[in-house]
Amino acid sequence: MAFWNEVGNRVRYLFRRSRFDREFEEEMRFHIQARADELEQSGLAGSDALRQARREFGSTLRSGEATRSAWQMFWLEDLASDVRYAARALRRNPALALAAVASLALGIGANTTIFSVAREALFSEPSCRDPHSLAQVSTRGNSWVSMAQYRFLEHAHVFDAIAGVNIGMVVNWRNGNRSYRLAGTHVTDSFFEVVGIPVAMGRPIERGETDVTVVTYGFWRKRLGGAPNVLGRTLVLDGKPYTVVGVLPRDHRMLAGFGFTPDLYLTKDPGEVMLYARLPQGIGRQAAYTRLAPICRELDRVYPDVNRKWAKEVRLSAVGGTERLEGEAGRQAIPVVGFFAMLVIVTAIVVLIACANISSLLLARSFTRAREFAIRMSLGGSRWRLVRQLLAESMLLALLGTGAGLALNLWLTRLLSAIHIPTPLPIELVIQPDRLLLLYSVAIAIVVTVTTGLVPALRATGAGIGAAVKAGGRETGPAGSALRNALVIGQLAVSIVLLSAGLLFLRNLIQATSFQAGFDTSHTIVATVQGPSDRRKFVDSALERLRELPGIEAASPAYAVPLNPFLAFSRERGPLRPDAGSRSVRVEYNSNSVGPDYFRIMAIPILDGRAFLDSDRAGAPEVVILNENMAHRLFGDTNPLGHILRFPDNRDARVVGIARNSTYVNLGEKDAMALYVPFSQQAVRGYAHFFLRTRGAPETMARKVDEALAGLDHSASVDTRIMGDLFAAALLPSRAGAAVLGAMALFGLLLASIGLCGVLLYSTQQRIREIGIRVALGASPGNVLGMVARQSCKLVATGMCSGLAIAAFAVRPLSMFLVPEVRTTDPVNFVAVACLLAVVAGLASVAPTIRALRVDPAVALRHE
Amino acid sequence: MESQPSLELLPGTLYLLILRTLNHGPLHGYAIVKRIKEASREGLQIEDGSLYPALNRMLVKGWLAAEWGVSENNRKARFYKLTPEGRKQLDKEAGEFGRLVRAIQLVMRTA
Repeated sequence: MAFWNEVGNRVRYLFRRSRFDREFEEEMRFHIQARADELEQSGLAGSDALRQARREFGSTLRSGEATRSAWQMFWLEDLASDVRYAARALRRNPALALAAVASLALGIGANTTIFSVAREALFSEPSCRDPHSLAQVSTRGNSWVSMAQYRFLEHAHVFDAIAGVNIGMVVNWRNGNRSYRLAGTHVTDSFFEVVGIPVAMGRPIERGETDVTVVTYGFWRKRLGGAPNVLGRTLVLDGKPYTVVGVLPRDHRMLAGFGFTPDLYLTKDPGEVMLYARLPQGIGRQAAYTRLAPICRELDRVYPDVNRKWAKEVRLSAVGGTERLEGEAGRQAIPVVGFFAMLVIVTAIVVLIACANISSLLLARSFTRAREFAIRMSLGGSRWRLVRQLLAESMLLALLGTGAGLALNLWLTRLLSAIHIPTPLPIELVIQPDRLLLLYSVAIAIVVTVTTGLVPALRATGAGIGAAVKAGGRETGPAGSALRNALVIGQLAVSIVLLSAGLLFLRNLIQATSFQAGFDTSHTIVATVQGPSDRRKFVDSALERLRELPGIEAASPAYAVPLNPFLAFSRERGPLRPDAGSRSVRVEYNSNSVGPDYFRIMAIPILDGRAFLDSDRAGAPEVVILNENMAHRLFGDTNPLGHILRFPDNRDARVVGIARNSTYVNLGEKDAMALYVPFSQQAVRGYAHFFLRTRGAPETMARKVDEALAGLDHSASVDTRIMGDLFAAALLPSRAGAAVLGAMALFGLLLASIGLCGVLLYSTQQRIREIGIRVALGASPGNVLGMVARQSCKLVATGMCSGLAIAAFAVRPLSMFLVPEVRTTDPVNFVAVACLLAVVAGLASVAPTIRALRVDPAVALRHE
Repeated sequence: MESQPSLELLPGTLYLLILRTLNHGPLHGYAIVKRIKEASREGLQIEDGSLYPALNRMLVKGWLAAEWGVSENNRKARFYKLTPEGRKQLDKEAGEFGRLVRAIQLVMRTA
């Protein structure tokens, strides 16, 4: 504390130096005058007294100097003068400084922006009270429980309190005579109290309330006009009136994380909920777990389930920060984390390439100043002082670059914050700059300063005094150029790596857009219906109505939509017994229940056997259809048609068909297994998707389908989309990856080619005398061209070979993000990248070659 | 007035003397010198040239505060006074100094 007070006092002094000097003089005058007064009283004459007093005081000059030094911070003032000097050096060559700062700023801007997005999406704290005593509860490896089990757990009083939430439900909002689909989040009445969600206006939902809603800031601003009198307003949601009691703050972050943002929270029986619990005071998650485990065994007694035991895989996971990624959600988030990590690394590499350029530039400059430094050192200047002065220059560049990069970050994150990703539960990130971003940027600035400045500074001051004075600004020995060559080779090598990654993502995007998904989506509409009152009857009458619509070729219900993480296939695991025998096969497969026309609508061929029939209804013998992978896994080479499959709960089903392999959960999956069961033989759930094949373009039909379904049952909510749109989420990583990686790779290549051009130019400049002599002795332009070309080729070839060697390994982990058709080991990639680099390197050598050819021996021989 | 030549100050004791002198109330620089001289019965003479650097170092450390006022002779003068930190420092240094002097005296008497 005392230390900072002292620093504060000293800093204040810096701004008041002239006033300080004035005051000090006045004080001296008073002191001398006071002494003179005293001497006069003791009998001395006025002028003698004054003289005597002055003599006694001594030199006011020396005293003033000593007094001033009490206040000064020498290192700070030295630093200031170093920075001033560096600024002058940069101003002398503004174009170069601007290029250096701009290349740093672009790299740092991209890097910090990805950092900001990743931090917000993955590691942000949710809006809640005391996240440490809040836990997400999962039983049987799953965070969802139905309301019956929820109430059981509530009455068991294991925790202080529990709350349930069902995110991403579609809610019908009737406004006037129009209906809108909203992303609603159904919560139990305890949710707001238990989680402790702050509201900006009004109040949270309270216990015992049944028909109230709290709206998010975005919904309030965009859909309710941002009216301040919104509290108390009634919204008709799914046919029932709800009163708006509160508005959430702008930076509300949902417990689910990842930027998910619903339109509103409402109290409605969610059917199934994700479970959150407030731990009792002083009880950690571990201790709470030991209390929960026996209750789950009790659950198994009350709600026995043959498939899965409640008490199995019980877990309490954290709700915020990095801890959240350790649990079940963490496993799902691995590809996302990997994706961000890759982008951070790629952009960091670009920053390093930019650093290499600057370092090379400073290196060149430091050699031309080597004589100056040698003289200063021989006159007694300390080496550290000179190094510090050179470092000030790179520090200034680093600070300017980081500052501009941060400005870019603020601009980009504001743009990104305005983006609304229309997943079923929309994603909106609220990215705000924070202290961590600042710390991260400071770290970047330090790294940039050291990587750009340290080597040039040490080299410039390391040369022997005599040698430097003699060499007089010319390269001293091969060491300097070797260093710059190494930098360029490094730049070219990492450019190859970046280009390889970028090309892979580009090919992936092309491949993914042309959709080798194993099914056809060009004429497909998907309508999702939630919560009709009589579900079985609703499905039948809906199908009937839809088939009557002109322009609809076929309609089928299904429980899952492929390639959609939110409406996903259920992942089933378990030992299946082919032929009901003793041999059991453990498999993990995707399961969907579909209607008879599903395979026709999706254009998934049935390779053998038959599709489902209308006669495969409840009560009829159970049947299944397997995909090729699954059939092979279960039955080997024997034809599975007609064979019986026994499920873990001892149900038997007969295999009636083999469907061709397609994609299920994501585009990158390999050898995925799938099993289909007839829709009408599956237990009824609270929602269903209707798949429709249209004759014409699906866009025109979507509206009619929507109206037809909405007219059937007013208590149901309907969400109709074109299937292609639904895949936007599945394509998002490829799009973002291709855009960012492609841009970064090209930018890196540009920087590397600038580096190459600079090094060639510089070495041509150094060899002008030599070239002049050669030309004078009769070297042809071809010989001169060969000189430059040889050097260029040597650099490019070395860079290219090492780059290709690194890239061959470095791009392997990317296969996690790519469709199987795009292989990371494909030699075509590397050949294409090498060709691109060769062309660009050729272009970068043009200017140095011209410079070398223009050398006039008469001028060059006088060149010094 | 002829007297014994004044004593060299022990290193570090200048701060202590100034702090102690200001303990009674604010004084300007000249008065500090005079007060120390009188209190030591002319034994200690602080050089005018070293007084002000010391005062300023103490200002930097935050032990003293300075403000302009009017002297007994109606002249504008800069008065120094103790801050709470300065008072704490005085207690600390006075205690340390006391222990040091006692220890030295013990050695001088017995050894």
